[in-house]
Amino acid sequence: MENEIEEAERKATLKAAGAESLPQGRNGVRIHGWEIESKNRSILSSLTYEQWGEKLNTSHLPEMVFGESSLVLWHLQSGINIHFNAFDALVGWKKEGLPPVEVPAAAKWKFRSKLFQQVIFDYDYTFTTPYCGSETVEKNTEGEGNILDQENCNLEWEDSEEKIDIVALASKEPILFYDEAVLYEDELADNGVSLLTVKVRVMPSCWFLLLRFWLRVDGVLMRLRDTRMYCSFEKNANPFILRESCWREATFQSLSAKGYPSDSAAYSDPNLISHRLPVVMQKTQKLKLPG
Amino acid sequence: MSDLDRQIEQLKRCEPLKESEVKALCLKAMEILVEESNVQRVDAPVTICGDIHGQFYDMKELFKVGGDCPKTNYLFLGDFVDRGFYSVETFLLLLALKVRYPDRITLIRGNHESRQITQVYGFYDECLRKYGSVNVWRYCTDIFDYLSLSALIENRIFSVHGGLSPAISTLDQIRTIDRKQEVPHDGAMCDLLWSDPEDMVDGWGLSPRGAGFLFGGNVVTSFNHANNLDYICRAHQLVMEGYKWMFNNQIVTVWSAPNYCYRCGNVAAILELDENLNHKFRVFEAAPHESRGAPSKKPAPDYFL
Repeated sequence: MENEIEEAERKATLKAAGAESLPQGRNGVRIHGWEIESKNRSILSSLTYEQWGEKLNTSHLPEMVFGESSLVLWHLQSGINIHFNAFDALVGWKKEGLPPVEVPAAAKWKFRSKLFQQVIFDYDYTFTTPYCGSETVEKNTEGEGNILDQENCNLEWEDSEEKIDIVALASKEPILFYDEAVLYEDELADNGVSLLTVKVRVMPSCWFLLLRFWLRVDGVLMRLRDTRMYCSFEKNANPFILRESCWREATFQSLSAKGYPSDSAAYSDPNLISHRLPVVMQKTQKLKLPG
Repeated sequence: MSDLDRQIEQLKRCEPLKESEVKALCLKAMEILVEESNVQRVDAPVTICGDIHGQFYDMKELFKVGGDCPKTNYLFLGDFVDRGFYSVETFLLLLALKVRYPDRITLIRGNHESRQITQVYGFYDECLRKYGSVNVWRYCTDIFDYLSLSALIENRIFSVHGGLSPAISTLDQIRTIDRKQEVPHDGAMCDLLWSDPEDMVDGWGLSPRGAGFLFGGNVVTSFNHANNLDYICRAHQLVMEGYKWMFNNQIVTVWSAPNYCYRCGNVAAILELDENLNHKFRVFEAAPHESRGAPSKKPAPDYFL
């Protein structure tokens, strides 16, 4: 009963905002010419996991790859399709190819490992990625779901001085759709965490999303790479998407020098500590949508 | 009904014990565990279980599939705590069963049975939250130091949480380790609880973290040959299908936490060995939502910025 009332209220809120839920079995909304959909699925089976390794030309992937999970934002009129998935993020990881980060115990191990003959692995086990989303143009010319044309494209993101309107986002308008999808996760063999997630919220006036790569190598460093995207539904001659990327990074040593705690347990929630991590890269870009 | 039987019933309902009861239980467990060998002998038939990680309601599914203790003889390969919501109830139930039926359940140590790891990955916080003090965490982590490091089933199947060590070629070398200590950062004891098999090497590999050994097929062949073993059974790594053989069936990983971290969607497995060591994997899924007190699947809308 309670559920039915909630469901009816939810439908009324959606209707008032000119939005509708996606058909049964799909998780998302249609609103102001956008179709926004998320999928939360299981981690890859061992077989698919191996196939991904071959496709990515690597024998090492995060231990939890949510390969079928995704977030898709599709602008129906222009066909612009912005999406987030683990595969493309791992392509980015492979390409960036950072050198491995040594854990604190490594110092002791240097001496010890001389005693045995061994192969030293040197891939970036933190799965750090510069990924900030994928984009295609998918023209939907013959009715719903009938995609005739799909092309990978480089949309023209221009550098911008504008800022995402945080004040507007802080206002408590109703959330019409919300979801969070983990794209991949690794526990670094209990030496910290590497986690790539994307979450989205859709309100009557805009949509907003946060793609976050969060890394903590216990006792060594933390890395936070956030990409936020914002799109207003205000009637506007020039609709656009704003994309802000902000990368932060700090070593435990530098935090401890500033008087912050240096135990890993104090750094479990990136929301609470992000301000302690210095910004290493920041940029804002804008994508104009055909009016 | 004895106090202990009553406590077991209580824990089976996922209700934690009083602090004073935990203290008494740990003292009794210590007397039993201190007598065990670093390579604890286990008779078949036995059912081998991998990581549990505080997923109490899923462990109840495990017992439904595998049968109750003491009717079924169990061997748990460690990592009872951290990550899940019910590390306290999970570990205490296993420990109470150990005290009640010492010959029908064997618990060996995983890398999470450690003071340092539990302070970062959940068990410490959970104890503090549930008891308002860290005393229970202290009693439990003191017991961790007494847990055996490995088990040997009918002299033919070697069981350990992580894997092998380049410092160890015979089981007798494991027997000489002084295990009653916090898990060290290096050395044989550390390797047994931390190392992983690795397809990409034949011999030994060093993790890109600069600490942590990986071992290849040749290492396993030599070890099994030198110690007259059929195969090695270990846990420690998530496997979507619940178990995974490697190196021509010379080593198997068993994983017993279904829908790990309440979101991976993996199945879990236990390995049943009969009196002739014939093996059978029993695969099972996570407990249904209704039967657990866990948070609902859908995340609550959040005004994130």
